[in-house]
Amino acid sequence: MRSFTHVTAGSLAEACALLSEAGGKGRANAGGTDLLGVLKDGIHAQGPELIVDLKAVSGLAEVSREGDEVRIGALATLASLDRSTLLRETLPLLVQAAHAVGTPQVRTMGTVGGNLCQEVRCWYYRYPRHVGGPVGCLRKGDGPCLAVKGDNRYHGVFGGRGCFAVCPSDLAVALTALGAVVDIAGPDGSRREVAVEDLYEPTTLTLAPGELLAEVRVPVPARPTRQTFLKFTVREPVDFAVVSVAASLDRDGPGCRDARIVLGGVSPRPHRALQAEEVLRGGDVDDQTAARAGEAAVAGAKPMRHNAYKIGIARTLVERAVRACLDA
Amino acid sequence: MSDEYRYIGKPTPRRDAPQIVTGSATFFGDLVVPGMLHAKVLRSPHPHALVTEIDVARARGLSGVKAVLTHADVPDWRAGTPRHLRVLDSTVRYVGDPVALVAATSEAVAEEALGLIDVSYELLPAVFDLDEALAEGAVQLYADSPGNVLRPGTRWFGPDCLTGLAIGDVEAGFAEAEVIVEGEASYAGLPNPLPPESPGVVAQWEEPDRVTLWLSTQAAHQEKMIIHAAFGRAVDVRTIGGACGGSYGSKFMSIQLIMQATALSRAARRPVRLGLTKEEHLAAFGLRIGSRVRAKVGLRRDGALTAISGEWLVDTGHYSLTTQAQVAVGCGEAQVALRCPNWDLRTKVVCTNRPASGIVRGFGGQELKACLLPILSRALAELDLDPFDFLRRNYVKPGDGYFWRDGRWYDYRGNDYTPAMDAGAEAFGWRERWKGWLRPTEVDGPLRTGVGVGVHGNVDIGESVSEAYVRLDPEGRATLYSSASEHGTGQPSNLLKMVAEVLQLPLERVTLTAADTAVTPYDMGPVGSRGTYAMGSAAIKAAEEARRQLLTLAAANLDAPPEELETRDGRVFRLGRADSGAAWMAIMGPERTIMGHGRFEPDFTLANCMMTFVEVRVDTETGGTELLRVVNATDAGRIIDPAGLENQLNGCLGSAGIDTALFEETIIDRTTGRVLNANLIDYKWRTFAHLPQMRNVVLETPVDSHRFHAIGVGEVSTAPGPAAVLMAVSNALGVPLAEYPVTPEKVLAAWKRAMDAQAGEATR
Amino acid sequence: MDRRRGETRQVRLRVNGQDHVLTVGGPAADVAVTHTLAHTLRETLGLTGTKVSCDRGACGSCTVLVGGEAKLSCSMLTVECDGLDITTVEGLADPVTGALDPLQQSFIDHTAFQCGYCTPGILMSAKALLLKNPRPTQADVQEALSGNFCRCITHYHVLEAVQAAVEAGAASATAPDSRRARR
Ligand SMILES: Cc1cc2nc3c(=O)[nH]c(=O)nc-3n(C[C@@H](O)[C@@H](O)[C@H](O)COP(=O)(O)OP(=O)(O)OC[C@H]3O[C@@H](n4cnc5c(N)ncnc54)[C@H](O)[C@@H]3O)c2cc1C
Ligand code: SF4
Ligand code: FES
Ligand code: FES
Repeated sequence: MRSFTHVTAGSLAEACALLSEAGGKGRANAGGTDLLGVLKDGIHAQGPELIVDLKAVSGLAEVSREGDEVRIGALATLASLDRSTLLRETLPLLVQAAHAVGTPQVRTMGTVGGNLCQEVRCWYYRYPRHVGGPVGCLRKGDGPCLAVKGDNRYHGVFGGRGCFAVCPSDLAVALTALGAVVDIAGPDGSRREVAVEDLYEPTTLTLAPGELLAEVRVPVPARPTRQTFLKFTVREPVDFAVVSVAASLDRDGPGCRDARIVLGGVSPRPHRALQAEEVLRGGDVDDQTAARAGEAAVAGAKPMRHNAYKIGIARTLVERAVRACLDA
Repeated sequence: MSDEYRYIGKPTPRRDAPQIVTGSATFFGDLVVPGMLHAKVLRSPHPHALVTEIDVARARGLSGVKAVLTHADVPDWRAGTPRHLRVLDSTVRYVGDPVALVAATSEAVAEEALGLIDVSYELLPAVFDLDEALAEGAVQLYADSPGNVLRPGTRWFGPDCLTGLAIGDVEAGFAEAEVIVEGEASYAGLPNPLPPESPGVVAQWEEPDRVTLWLSTQAAHQEKMIIHAAFGRAVDVRTIGGACGGSYGSKFMSIQLIMQATALSRAARRPVRLGLTKEEHLAAFGLRIGSRVRAKVGLRRDGALTAISGEWLVDTGHYSLTTQAQVAVGCGEAQVALRCPNWDLRTKVVCTNRPASGIVRGFGGQELKACLLPILSRALAELDLDPFDFLRRNYVKPGDGYFWRDGRWYDYRGNDYTPAMDAGAEAFGWRERWKGWLRPTEVDGPLRTGVGVGVHGNVDIGESVSEAYVRLDPEGRATLYSSASEHGTGQPSNLLKMVAEVLQLPLERVTLTAADTAVTPYDMGPVGSRGTYAMGSAAIKAAEEARRQLLTLAAANLDAPPEELETRDGRVFRLGRADSGAAWMAIMGPERTIMGHGRFEPDFTLANCMMTFVEVRVDTETGGTELLRVVNATDAGRIIDPAGLENQLNGCLGSAGIDTALFEETIIDRTTGRVLNANLIDYKWRTFAHLPQMRNVVLETPVDSHRFHAIGVGEVSTAPGPAAVLMAVSNALGVPLAEYPVTPEKVLAAWKRAMDAQAGEATR
Repeated sequence: MDRRRGETRQVRLRVNGQDHVLTVGGPAADVAVTHTLAHTLRETLGLTGTKVSCDRGACGSCTVLVGGEAKLSCSMLTVECDGLDITTVEGLADPVTGALDPLQQSFIDHTAFQCGYCTPGILMSAKALLLKNPRPTQADVQEALSGNFCRCITHYHVLEAVQAAVEAGAASATAPDSRRARR
């Protein structure tokens, strides 16, 4: 690991100020489960010069309800979401997604903010420096995307522009289905809100240097909705999603007032399956509708050489998630 | 059941158990040699290139750096078959190939120094697989190996080393066959045996020509022999073994690290530690060999094989340490599992621009069989023969024989394994679960269950030489001097049980020295499944010899001939007169030790056997495959340590076993030559969350090995499983598969083929 | 804690009940900012029972207890551990009597290891589970250990060993006299 200056921030404002001052050369550290790997592998041409530890910032780890919103501090750990009775009752989707992350230890250490802001897992991007030097690519602003001609079995089938790495965050998929927004603190004390899916731009996050997630706000559905998170991996714990789906159905007897279907593992951002939602919205929902929603969800997918299999999995997961919402 | 014995077959705690559970066991990584420097390796970014220039001036100038070496300043030590592997070479042949070495006062300094080395390369074309390497006009990795094909055979196995099988008359055999099938299969996922502790070595050079090596392998003496040869027989080598944090055979691939650490220590005049990171371990260390077999098989309706002909292509990566040896053993093992009078199997060992393949549990036979069985399956399917019956029928039986690795014929004198196989089939419920070829056992919507079976056996339980000393001390204690180190099998503890049993000493009064070639005698080591029989025999003989000396000495004292004496708990007495006699102290006096020497000579007339039954469930909508059940069946002759054996058999899943058919593979980028999954997230391994139901059926039919009638079965537990899984998945899907591992992508593609075929039939 | 750059500061760790004050930066540094907790435990404090395999958060070999929870010492910077109460495998046995933790004894009795390299991490994950949930089901144990890599496939024996320790613990819990205070 290359050396850096290390500062423990006492407040979010201080962290933002320090990182802003460092320009692009600073990094926040929350649980460290992602950042330390990035640093050890030395995947970037330049390592950060400043690391700002957020863990001592108080008041950012709470999960609480305020009115018709649930607020989740950026430093809340995934394990705390997994354990939260408030979430279990109001937003079970989030509990399922948090539980689907990594391993027990990763969930105990990993935070919500870190989960949403972790770097992509593309294996070209992540190639370790110590075995022949790091790999440059479009996302790093250094050459073309290597996944296009290379082994893209884990890359996206939707919406890649230049970079085809998929959004690695399980929470982002669930939060998008729940219509959540993130509250972003800026260096000058400013705050702005963006929808979770809008955090992800084609080759980067929307965050400017000195901007940090402060909390996530999730609207509590007016009526209880049926929620299901499914994640397909090569092997269950440890792995990132090959494909995941978060489904939330607002049932009305046999019918469905509204639906949100979001796919993970297929696109640089959580992928709203709008056509699938369309299929579900309004009419009665049964197994056939679920199957049609599955078909609709993958319409327009553009596979690369090695990842067409993801389409079948995505179709299946959407269908199964909708069916699970019917059974629930 | 083994009440005749005090320790054999009884559950006894592993000798090193207290250290392991308290964290005080010393693994390689815990070792500190005073004054030790830390080494790092600069690795090539290119899969094939000439190193045209290296500038190390800045690195040498960095404070704390004690030595920097390039190909221009290393000794001309070489290893491999042929001797292609050097300390550093002016040609790099895979991404990660060492280019320069640094030794410094800390890892951090060494790493910083790597960043200060400038290298220029002249790029060469690269070949990443068998087809590219064997293509007309392909770039050559080595001038002495035209067509990238390595010289067959290994001197280690003698002048007639098996390089293929030419037995009988295949044309006549095919003429007798009732069905002939031709096909191709490959086992080329290059899984990594992946011991949890990464490989490493500490070297301490002493002028003019001595080196002491602390190794992370299980067989200090065998390593000494290999290293001594690599050093041109001009260096006095002492190797010290210790707990190595797993090996599964693979740590024998540490030879280049050993040469490098030694060269650095010589240059820096200090001990040097060279340990790989997990990324280096995954991207620049030993993988399983890649295999592709094209074969034609002839079969009769009664299940008799009439002929097998074909070609086994082996991809060894950038060099071969022992790949030709694996070919030899694989060819031998093929005959053990598949009795067939007529063979014409040709082989080629091919090098490619990727990390080297090397020694892994299974050692050739697992690979060859993983390819032969899917081809044979098609012939069996044509005749509607049950694979269990077929494998049971064709496994070597007393009175049969085989050509073994040295090219000689051996008559088999071991057990008939049919009862073990039957017991396994019974435990698994094979008869009920087998529904015929390409037929699922159960179908539940998209979930389809299938079963499969495989078998493996190895003659290496009696390979090579083992020696041991047993020393008796007057205090009523004994010490075993053996060159075995613990690598997970529990063999050192088992040897202590055997010695305690022979000497009838309380187990805790028998101790083991550390493996150290300055102290302990020659032993090939606990490799293959040779620990129980080969090493056990040496330990037993040493104990018996020590006992004989003791009783001879006692004879004068106790006024009885040695044959009428026995010893127990540190006393010697007349047979059946335990209340009388004398303590060892009284017999030996305080100023004497007794040393017994035991030696085991190679014996290729016994084979072990493992049959593995598996049941899998395939999800045809996601391509996911789940392993539901495993039954392993074997006959161990006599169980030495029940828990240790059970552990070894459960090991059939990992360390490049069954999971190589399911999800384990090393993924190499076809354009850059880089290993893409060199981390423990992308390299898949089995977790606690997904454990199949596991059952091990072990018979104990005494075998004519040593006085405890036992043979080893540990290594072979990984070998039959992969082929069984491929068979099970094929049956679940109704489509024959011939490639490992069965990734979701492959499963979905196969299922689509099946559906398309069905639709085609329906419209016809 | 002094937050200005480049200056010496201290990290206070309590490891297995023993307090350590480590200096960061300056000429007599015990700890560099880049050091992980695993590195500090092993190289600075000599507690080599904690093992490092992947060094990337994936294998659980380096698992230690931090405030009773299982955490990955390879993925924590030592400079961020100020004030933490850490237990490593060396701290499982009773510090006074040296008596093994029931889990350790059970691992011995069930030969719940082969090469033994994964064992310290597995013991710590299991311990964290039992601290939270003294009567876990087998599924709970599997889940709690799902982030621990065991290449030798000792999983089956580990599950037996943990389950036996749980049962022994339950038995002794019902017999209050024999109950021992242990963290
Ligand atoms: C073995 C393993 C398996 C994993 N599996 C999964 C998985 O299945 N699913 C999944 O979603 N993830 C997975 N992960 C990723 C895991 O790192 C995240 O899930 C975790 O939540 C990250 O949180 P953290 O606090 O540790 O992040 P950190 O490592 O501290 O930070 C990650 C990144 O986010 C930035 N950051 C942190 N906090 C903030 C903030 N408040 N505002 C802005 N930027 C911030 C940091 O600068 C850094 O760049 C896995 C990781 C490992 C090691
Ligand atoms: S997919 Fe994105 S991160 Fe991966 S190589 Fe292409 S540009 Fe780089
Ligand atoms: S060494 Fe820490 S998780 Fe692998
Ligand atoms: S016992 Fe070897 S890795 Fe678990």
